[in-house]
Amino acid sequence: MKYGTTFSFCWSGGSKLLLYHYSHVEVKFIKCFFKMSSFSRSAQQWATFARSWFLIDARMQPPGKIASMCSVRLQGKHKPIYHPLSDIGDHVVVMNTRHIAFSGNKWEQKVYSSHTGYPGSFKQLTAAQMHKKDPTAIIKLAVYGMLPKNLTRRTMMQRLHLFPDDVLPEDILKNLTEELPQPREIPRKLSEYTQEERNAFPMLWTPA
Amino acid sequence: MTARGTPSRFLQSVLHNGVGRYVCQLKRISLIFSKKGQGSLGVRDFIEEGVVDFAKNNPGTVVYISPQSCRIPKIVAEYLNGNVKEETVTNKASQEIAELITKLSNQSGLDIIRIRKPFHTDSPSIQGQWHPFTNRPPRLCIVFIL
Repeated sequence: MKYGTTFSFCWSGGSKLLLYHYSHVEVKFIKCFFKMSSFSRSAQQWATFARSWFLIDARMQPPGKIASMCSVRLQGKHKPIYHPLSDIGDHVVVMNTRHIAFSGNKWEQKVYSSHTGYPGSFKQLTAAQMHKKDPTAIIKLAVYGMLPKNLTRRTMMQRLHLFPDDVLPEDILKNLTEELPQPREIPRKLSEYTQEERNAFPMLWTPA
Repeated sequence: MTARGTPSRFLQSVLHNGVGRYVCQLKRISLIFSKKGQGSLGVRDFIEEGVVDFAKNNPGTVVYISPQSCRIPKIVAEYLNGNVKEETVTNKASQEIAELITKLSNQSGLDIIRIRKPFHTDSPSIQGQWHPFTNRPPRLCIVFIL
Protein backbone atom coordinates (compact mmCIF):
# COMPACT_ATOMS: atom_id res chain seq x y z
CA MET A 1 0.00 0.00 0.00
CA LYS A 2 2.26 2.74 -1.22
CA TYR A 3 0.06 5.75 -1.93
CA GLY A 4 2.77 8.11 -0.82
CA THR A 5 5.31 6.97 -3.34
CA THR A 6 3.05 7.16 -6.34
CA PHE A 7 3.32 10.92 -6.80
CA SER A 8 7.04 11.37 -6.34
CA PHE A 9 9.82 10.25 -4.14
CA CYS A 10 10.40 13.77 -2.85
CA TRP A 11 10.49 14.38 0.86
CA SER A 12 12.17 17.03 2.89
CA GLY A 13 15.17 15.77 4.86
CA GLY A 14 15.37 18.06 7.89
CA SER A 15 17.55 16.22 10.35
CA LYS A 16 21.22 15.52 9.77
CA LEU A 17 20.79 11.90 10.87
CA LEU A 18 18.39 11.22 8.04
CA LEU A 19 20.86 12.34 5.38
CA TYR A 20 23.72 10.48 7.04
CA HIS A 21 21.81 7.24 7.13
CA TYR A 22 21.11 7.32 3.39
CA SER A 23 24.59 8.31 2.26
CA HIS A 24 24.87 5.15 0.18
CA VAL A 25 21.96 6.36 -1.97
CA GLU A 26 22.17 8.72 -4.95
CA VAL A 27 20.77 12.14 -4.14
CA LYS A 28 19.44 14.37 -6.91
CA PHE A 29 17.60 17.67 -6.84
CA ILE A 30 14.51 17.39 -9.00
CA LYS A 31 11.50 19.70 -8.99
CA CYS A 32 8.36 17.64 -8.85
CA PHE A 33 5.65 19.10 -11.05
CA PHE A 34 2.54 17.31 -12.31
CA LYS A 35 -0.78 18.78 -13.38
CA MET A 36 -3.44 17.52 -11.00
CA SER A 37 -6.23 19.33 -12.83
CA SER A 38 -5.83 17.00 -15.81
CA PHE A 39 -6.73 13.94 -13.68
CA SER A 40 -9.93 11.99 -14.33
CA ARG A 41 -12.59 12.04 -11.61
CA SER A 42 -11.60 8.70 -10.14
CA ALA A 43 -7.91 9.60 -10.16
CA GLN A 44 -8.67 12.92 -8.45
CA GLN A 45 -10.67 11.12 -5.76
CA TRP A 46 -7.85 8.63 -5.32
CA ALA A 47 -5.43 11.53 -4.92
CA THR A 48 -7.64 13.33 -2.39
CA PHE A 49 -8.06 10.27 -0.17
CA ALA A 50 -4.48 9.04 -0.45
CA ARG A 51 -2.80 7.96 2.78
CA SER A 52 0.53 9.70 3.44
CA TRP A 53 3.42 8.46 5.57
CA PHE A 54 4.97 10.96 7.96
CA LEU A 55 8.35 10.68 9.69
CA ILE A 56 9.11 12.26 13.10
CA ASP A 57 12.51 12.23 14.77
CA ALA A 58 11.98 12.07 18.53
CA ARG A 59 15.60 12.73 19.56
CA MET A 60 15.73 15.15 22.54
CA GLN A 61 11.99 15.85 22.20
CA PRO A 62 9.30 15.77 24.92
CA PRO A 63 7.22 12.62 24.33
CA GLY A 64 3.93 14.44 24.97
CA LYS A 65 4.50 16.91 22.16
CA ILE A 66 5.54 14.11 19.80
CA ALA A 67 2.44 12.16 20.80
CA SER A 68 0.08 15.06 20.15
CA MET A 69 1.57 15.59 16.67
CA CYS A 70 1.15 11.86 16.00
CA SER A 71 -2.44 11.75 17.21
CA VAL A 72 -3.44 14.72 15.01
CA ARG A 73 -2.11 12.97 11.91
CA LEU A 74 -3.37 9.51 12.84
CA GLN A 75 -6.90 10.85 13.13
CA GLY A 76 -6.63 12.83 9.90
CA LYS A 77 -7.35 16.15 11.59
CA HIS A 78 -4.70 17.88 9.52
CA LYS A 79 -6.80 17.34 6.38
CA PRO A 80 -9.66 19.64 5.28
CA ILE A 81 -11.69 16.53 4.34
CA TYR A 82 -11.67 15.24 7.93
CA HIS A 83 -14.66 13.33 9.27
CA PRO A 84 -14.50 11.01 12.32
CA LEU A 85 -16.18 8.16 10.44
CA SER A 86 -14.11 8.44 7.28
CA ASP A 87 -11.00 6.47 8.38
CA ILE A 88 -8.86 9.15 6.82
CA GLY A 89 -5.77 9.07 9.03
CA ASP A 90 -2.22 8.75 7.79
CA HIS A 91 0.68 6.57 8.87
CA VAL A 92 3.21 8.06 11.28
CA VAL A 93 6.71 6.65 11.79
CA VAL A 94 8.56 7.81 14.91
CA MET A 95 12.27 7.10 15.14
CA ASN A 96 14.79 7.51 17.98
CA THR A 97 12.14 6.90 20.63
CA ARG A 98 14.95 5.67 22.88
CA HIS A 99 16.31 9.24 23.00
CA ILE A 100 13.22 11.15 24.10
CA ALA A 101 13.66 13.78 26.79
CA PHE A 102 11.16 14.30 29.58
CA SER A 103 11.28 17.73 31.18
CA GLY A 104 11.57 18.15 34.94
CA ASN A 105 11.89 15.08 37.15
CA LYS A 106 9.38 13.01 35.23
CA TRP A 107 11.82 10.17 34.65
CA GLU A 108 11.64 9.43 38.39
CA GLN A 109 8.26 10.90 39.30
CA LYS A 110 5.95 9.85 36.46
CA VAL A 111 4.37 6.48 37.29
CA TYR A 112 2.76 4.06 34.86
CA SER A 113 0.31 1.76 36.66
CA SER A 114 -1.33 -1.42 35.45
CA HIS A 115 -3.59 -4.06 36.99
CA THR A 116 -4.50 -7.30 35.28
CA GLY A 117 -7.55 -7.81 37.51
CA TYR A 118 -6.10 -10.65 39.53
CA PRO A 119 -5.38 -9.94 43.20
CA GLY A 120 -1.83 -8.90 43.90
CA SER A 121 -1.08 -7.86 40.32
CA PHE A 122 -1.01 -4.12 40.72
CA LYS A 123 2.23 -2.96 39.09
CA GLN A 124 3.66 0.51 39.17
CA LEU A 125 6.66 1.45 37.07
CA THR A 126 8.45 4.76 36.94
CA ALA A 127 9.01 6.23 33.52
CA ALA A 128 12.71 5.33 33.70
CA GLN A 129 11.97 1.67 34.45
CA MET A 130 9.31 1.50 31.76
CA HIS A 131 11.68 3.05 29.22
CA LYS A 132 14.42 0.58 30.11
CA LYS A 133 12.02 -2.34 29.68
CA ASP A 134 10.61 -1.13 26.34
CA PRO A 135 11.98 2.03 24.68
CA THR A 136 8.85 2.56 22.56
CA ALA A 137 6.29 2.13 25.37
CA ILE A 138 6.21 5.72 26.62
CA ILE A 139 5.32 7.22 23.27
CA LYS A 140 2.93 4.37 22.53
CA LEU A 141 0.97 4.93 25.75
CA ALA A 142 1.00 8.70 25.25
CA VAL A 143 -0.45 8.44 21.73
CA TYR A 144 -2.99 5.82 22.87
CA GLY A 145 -4.24 8.20 25.52
CA MET A 146 -4.54 11.09 23.07
CA LEU A 147 -6.58 9.29 20.43
CA PRO A 148 -10.41 9.36 20.60
CA LYS A 149 -11.73 6.67 22.92
CA ASN A 150 -13.65 4.65 20.37
CA LEU A 151 -13.24 1.57 18.19
CA THR A 152 -11.23 3.45 15.56
CA ARG A 153 -8.43 3.93 18.10
CA ARG A 154 -7.00 0.44 17.57
CA THR A 155 -6.79 0.86 13.78
CA MET A 156 -5.09 4.22 14.28
CA MET A 157 -2.56 2.60 16.63
CA GLN A 158 -1.81 0.01 13.97
CA ARG A 159 -0.81 2.87 11.67
CA LEU A 160 1.67 4.20 14.22
CA HIS A 161 5.17 2.75 13.73
CA LEU A 162 7.71 3.25 16.51
CA PHE A 163 11.42 2.55 16.26
CA PRO A 164 13.83 2.98 19.16
CA ASP A 165 16.76 3.99 16.92
CA ASP A 166 17.14 5.54 13.51
CA VAL A 167 17.35 2.19 11.74
CA LEU A 168 14.17 1.84 9.70
CA PRO A 169 13.16 -1.15 7.59
CA GLU A 170 13.38 -0.79 3.81
CA ASP A 171 9.69 -1.00 3.03
CA ILE A 172 8.85 1.77 5.50
CA LEU A 173 11.64 3.94 4.11
CA LYS A 174 10.16 3.59 0.65
CA ASN A 175 6.74 4.75 1.80
CA LEU A 176 7.71 7.97 3.58
CA THR A 177 6.45 11.20 2.04
CA GLU A 178 7.18 13.97 4.54
CA GLU A 179 9.36 14.59 7.55
CA LEU A 180 7.74 16.79 10.19
CA PRO A 181 9.77 19.48 11.96
CA GLN A 182 10.67 18.75 15.58
CA PRO A 183 8.45 20.53 18.14
CA ARG A 184 11.27 21.48 20.51
CA GLU A 185 14.41 23.35 19.54
CA ILE A 186 17.31 21.32 20.90
CA PRO A 187 19.56 23.54 23.07
CA ARG A 188 23.24 23.33 22.23
CA LYS A 189 25.75 21.91 24.68
CA LEU A 190 28.59 24.10 25.88
CA SER A 191 31.01 22.01 23.86
CA GLU A 192 29.00 22.84 20.70
CA TYR A 193 29.57 26.59 21.03
CA THR A 194 32.60 28.03 19.22
CA GLN A 195 35.29 29.90 21.17
CA GLU A 196 34.27 33.20 19.49
CA GLU A 197 30.65 32.80 20.64
CA ARG A 198 31.82 32.02 24.16
CA ASN A 199 34.02 35.11 24.23
CA ALA A 200 31.22 37.23 22.76
CA PHE A 201 28.81 36.20 25.54
CA PRO A 202 28.11 39.22 27.79
CA MET A 203 29.70 39.07 31.28
CA LEU A 204 28.41 41.19 34.14
CA TRP A 205 31.61 40.98 36.11
CA THR A 206 34.80 39.03 35.89
CA PRO A 207 35.47 36.85 38.92
CA ALA A 208 38.47 38.31 40.68
CA MET B 1 -38.76 -0.31 2.15
CA THR B 2 -35.41 1.09 3.23
CA ALA B 3 -33.43 3.53 1.18
CA ARG B 4 -30.77 0.86 0.70
CA GLY B 5 -33.27 -1.74 -0.50
CA THR B 6 -34.94 0.46 -3.08
CA PRO B 7 -33.21 1.82 -6.19
CA SER B 8 -31.88 5.37 -6.18
CA ARG B 9 -30.16 7.70 -8.62
CA PHE B 10 -28.31 10.99 -8.70
CA LEU B 11 -29.90 14.20 -9.92
CA GLN B 12 -29.31 14.69 -13.61
CA SER B 13 -30.84 16.28 -16.66
CA VAL B 14 -31.08 14.47 -19.98
CA LEU B 15 -28.15 15.86 -22.05
CA HIS B 16 -28.22 19.28 -20.26
CA ASN B 17 -31.77 19.88 -21.58
CA GLY B 18 -32.72 23.52 -21.12
CA VAL B 19 -29.21 24.99 -21.09
CA GLY B 20 -29.48 25.60 -24.81
CA ARG B 21 -32.83 24.83 -26.33
CA TYR B 22 -35.48 22.82 -24.49
CA VAL B 23 -36.55 19.57 -26.12
CA CYS B 24 -39.75 17.96 -24.83
CA GLN B 25 -38.78 14.51 -23.63
CA LEU B 26 -42.20 12.98 -24.25
CA LYS B 27 -41.93 11.10 -27.53
CA ARG B 28 -45.29 9.42 -27.88
CA ILE B 29 -48.50 9.37 -25.91
CA SER B 30 -51.17 6.72 -26.61
CA LEU B 31 -54.71 6.96 -25.29
CA ILE B 32 -56.20 3.47 -25.11
CA PHE B 33 -59.90 3.49 -24.30
CA SER B 34 -63.15 1.75 -25.19
CA LYS B 35 -65.88 3.38 -27.22
CA LYS B 36 -68.70 2.21 -24.98
CA GLY B 37 -67.41 1.60 -21.43
CA GLN B 38 -68.29 3.69 -18.37
CA GLY B 39 -64.67 3.81 -17.21
CA SER B 40 -63.59 5.49 -20.44
CA LEU B 41 -66.13 8.29 -20.16
CA GLY B 42 -63.57 10.79 -18.97
CA VAL B 43 -61.14 9.79 -21.72
CA ARG B 44 -63.82 10.20 -24.36
CA ASP B 45 -64.69 13.65 -23.01
CA PHE B 46 -61.02 14.62 -23.04
CA ILE B 47 -60.67 13.43 -26.64
CA GLU B 48 -63.67 15.53 -27.57
CA GLU B 49 -62.43 18.74 -26.01
CA GLY B 50 -58.75 18.82 -24.99
CA VAL B 51 -56.56 16.44 -26.99
CA VAL B 52 -56.34 18.51 -30.19
CA ASP B 53 -55.20 21.59 -28.27
CA PHE B 54 -52.64 19.47 -26.44
CA ALA B 55 -51.31 18.06 -29.72
CA LYS B 56 -51.08 21.56 -31.22
CA ASN B 57 -49.25 22.91 -28.16
CA ASN B 58 -46.74 20.05 -28.15
CA PRO B 59 -45.53 19.69 -31.73
CA GLY B 60 -42.74 17.33 -30.71
CA THR B 61 -45.05 14.73 -29.21
CA VAL B 62 -47.01 12.21 -31.27
CA VAL B 63 -50.52 11.53 -29.95
CA TYR B 64 -52.13 8.18 -30.75
CA ILE B 65 -55.80 7.60 -30.09
CA SER B 66 -56.66 3.88 -30.16
CA PRO B 67 -60.19 2.81 -29.36
CA GLN B 68 -60.15 -0.87 -28.43
CA SER B 69 -62.51 -3.12 -26.55
CA CYS B 70 -60.79 -2.93 -23.18
CA ARG B 71 -62.08 -2.89 -19.63
CA ILE B 72 -59.63 -0.35 -18.31
CA PRO B 73 -58.58 2.75 -20.24
CA LYS B 74 -54.86 3.55 -20.17
CA ILE B 75 -52.49 6.34 -21.10
CA VAL B 76 -49.08 5.08 -22.26
CA ALA B 77 -46.32 7.67 -22.36
CA GLU B 78 -43.01 6.88 -24.07
CA TYR B 79 -39.95 9.06 -23.58
CA LEU B 80 -36.84 9.81 -25.61
CA ASN B 81 -34.58 7.76 -23.34
CA GLY B 82 -36.78 4.69 -23.87
CA ASN B 83 -38.74 4.63 -20.61
CA VAL B 84 -42.41 3.74 -20.89
CA LYS B 85 -44.97 4.88 -18.33
CA GLU B 86 -48.47 3.47 -18.16
CA GLU B 87 -51.26 5.10 -16.19
CA THR B 88 -54.78 3.74 -15.79
CA VAL B 89 -57.46 6.42 -16.00
CA THR B 90 -60.68 4.51 -15.16
CA ASN B 91 -63.42 6.76 -13.87
CA LYS B 92 -61.31 9.88 -14.05
CA ALA B 93 -62.80 13.20 -15.05
CA SER B 94 -61.72 14.96 -18.22
CA GLN B 95 -60.02 17.74 -16.23
CA GLU B 96 -57.98 15.24 -14.22
CA ILE B 97 -56.89 13.48 -17.38
CA ALA B 98 -55.80 16.82 -18.86
CA GLU B 99 -53.72 17.55 -15.77
CA LEU B 100 -52.21 14.06 -15.91
CA ILE B 101 -51.23 14.51 -19.53
CA THR B 102 -49.57 17.89 -18.86
CA LYS B 103 -47.68 16.25 -15.97
CA LEU B 104 -46.46 13.47 -18.25
CA SER B 105 -45.35 15.95 -20.90
CA ASN B 106 -43.41 18.00 -18.32
CA GLN B 107 -41.52 14.97 -17.01
CA SER B 108 -38.23 13.82 -18.44
CA GLY B 109 -38.07 10.07 -18.92
CA LEU B 110 -35.79 9.48 -15.91
CA ASP B 111 -36.97 6.99 -13.28
CA ILE B 112 -39.00 8.31 -10.41
CA ILE B 113 -36.95 6.86 -7.58
CA ARG B 114 -35.16 8.35 -4.61
CA ILE B 115 -32.78 11.11 -5.66
CA ARG B 116 -29.66 10.83 -3.54
CA LYS B 117 -28.71 14.51 -3.58
CA PRO B 118 -30.95 17.42 -4.56
CA PHE B 119 -28.02 19.05 -6.37
CA HIS B 120 -25.47 18.21 -9.06
CA THR B 121 -22.54 20.07 -10.52
CA ASP B 122 -20.15 19.31 -13.36
CA SER B 123 -17.46 21.51 -11.82
CA PRO B 124 -17.30 20.47 -8.14
CA SER B 125 -14.11 22.42 -7.48
CA ILE B 126 -13.06 25.90 -8.67
CA GLN B 127 -9.67 26.30 -7.02
CA GLY B 128 -8.76 22.67 -7.51
CA GLN B 129 -9.66 19.79 -5.22
CA TRP B 130 -7.42 19.27 -2.23
CA HIS B 131 -4.87 16.50 -2.28
CA PRO B 132 -2.12 15.84 0.28
CA PHE B 133 0.47 17.86 -1.65
CA THR B 134 -1.45 21.16 -1.92
CA ASN B 135 -0.01 23.58 0.63
CA ARG B 136 2.84 21.23 1.45
CA PRO B 137 5.97 23.39 1.07
CA PRO B 138 8.87 21.46 -0.39
CA ARG B 139 11.32 22.53 2.29
CA LEU B 140 14.23 20.57 0.95
CA CYS B 141 13.05 18.91 -2.21
CA ILE B 142 15.45 15.98 -2.14
CA VAL B 143 14.57 13.04 -4.32
CA PHE B 144 15.94 9.68 -3.37
CA ILE B 145 16.40 7.23 -6.20
CA LEU B 146 17.00 3.87 -4.59
